[in-house]
Amino acid sequence: MIRFDDVSVTYRGGVQALRNVDLRVDDGEFVVVVGLSGAGKSTLLRALNGLVPATSGSITIDGTEVVGAGAAELRVIRSRIGMIFQTFNLVHRTSVLNNVLMGRLSAVPAWRSTLGLWPSTEREAALQALERVGIVEKAYVRASNLSGGQQQRVGIARALAQEPAVMLADEPVAALDPVTSRQVMGDLQRINREMGITTLVNLHFLDLAREFGSRLVGLRDGEVVFDGDISDVTDVTFQEIYGRAITDDDLLAVDAEPAG
Amino acid sequence: MNTPLIGTTTGRPSRPRRGLRLWPVVGALAAYTLFAGHKVGFDASTFWNVWSNPLWEKFWPIPWDWVLDRHNVLDPLVETLQIAVVSTLIGCTLALPLAFAMSPLTSPNRVTLVVSRSAMNVVRAVPDLFWAKLLVTAVGVGAFAGSWALSVFSLGVMVKLFSETIDGADPRPLEAARAAGGRHGPVVRTGVLPTVLPEYVAYGLYVFELNIRASVVLGLVGAGGIGRVVEAQRQYFRFDRVLGVLVLVFVVVFVIEQVSVAIRRRLV
Repeated sequence: MIRFDDVSVTYRGGVQALRNVDLRVDDGEFVVVVGLSGAGKSTLLRALNGLVPATSGSITIDGTEVVGAGAAELRVIRSRIGMIFQTFNLVHRTSVLNNVLMGRLSAVPAWRSTLGLWPSTEREAALQALERVGIVEKAYVRASNLSGGQQQRVGIARALAQEPAVMLADEPVAALDPVTSRQVMGDLQRINREMGITTLVNLHFLDLAREFGSRLVGLRDGEVVFDGDISDVTDVTFQEIYGRAITDDDLLAVDAEPAG
Repeated sequence: MNTPLIGTTTGRPSRPRRGLRLWPVVGALAAYTLFAGHKVGFDASTFWNVWSNPLWEKFWPIPWDWVLDRHNVLDPLVETLQIAVVSTLIGCTLALPLAFAMSPLTSPNRVTLVVSRSAMNVVRAVPDLFWAKLLVTAVGVGAFAGSWALSVFSLGVMVKLFSETIDGADPRPLEAARAAGGRHGPVVRTGVLPTVLPEYVAYGLYVFELNIRASVVLGLVGAGGIGRVVEAQRQYFRFDRVLGVLVLVFVVVFVIEQVSVAIRRRLV
């Protein structure tokens, strides 16, 4: 279980990104986080794996405290949390397999990963992760030669290679076209259901949130202003989270058949 | 919303005045060039008079028999190439971890960053010829001193070029590797090295080109290689031999540079 207790994050320079956030996420949940840009969605995810240190409060994952954890403790915590990024964050000038092997960094001694001498068991784990997202045939292709949707799948495979208990996805489809967006969201949903990985996804398309989420958390100016079941969410809820009327720009609005 | 101001000019910004005007600067530079030239006794007629010096006749004809003799020129030339290869390999190998320590993106901590940067600034501040003189004095005349001096020189050039490439590398894969729970070294190795490796090899080849030319010069101060031959023949006023050696060096350097440039173009 993930617990945020009274968590605040203030960046250097004084910008307060999170204000007194309280949140509980049970194992296996699929939570969609929405809010305008600057509302603190990214900070919320990055506070959980310590990429952004929380200024105050407590964040625990299965009882392990993240806030104030030392470097070695943080590595252990992070190894159990996969992360997927808006811009995929792949190393372009190397193979897909090498990118996915980054997910195994915490599992091998430093000298092995530094020399590139990955044990065959790790390569096998990386290939299996690629099979899960259906692009194992691209294993030895340079990452830069893939389309955006394929790159994000590699990103998902890299996170899966960690065999994580928690998956964080920071605007995973913001850089993708509508059809590919649905496929990638479908992948995340399937992984959540089949493997029971607790998943937190930041989204800014409200129709995607409604289609794929089971629980919705709304952030506004760093505060949780909504937390509830997605079936209770109406346009009025979104208007309250955004603090303005909902426009077409807030919708992915493609007439493709729903994935899944 | 702004009201459009069609038909008026009140909405246009005034043309910004730059801090420096071009022509006054050019004029000032030209005036100072004339003044400084006068001060150092610069005399344009020297350009023509110098050609009537009997020195030039001593350059011709090139004694090819002597030049192409193995012991006279080819062996020292091979030594020069060996100095260049060894010092490039040593310098560039040491530069790899140092350059990562010198970039804010990949340095493990602030102390390492500041210390490595300061140390390399000192190394680079000392000219390669001075390193050669120093090492010839310390370890004796010969190719060993030259290799050592050029290794230091290669290191200085390489860390400068390569650490700036690392500065500009995409930081996002680093964040991904960090998020996966990697240690600092492996995170940098897997997250940045593949991105900058082609540049590393390209700079390595460039440093090799520099080293071949530099090792010719270093020979002049006793650091081994073909430069020693040039210096000896110059002292005997055998400028015909000097010219022959220089022609040979030119051919070798030219060929190596062309190959190196062709490889580098494919890399980056």
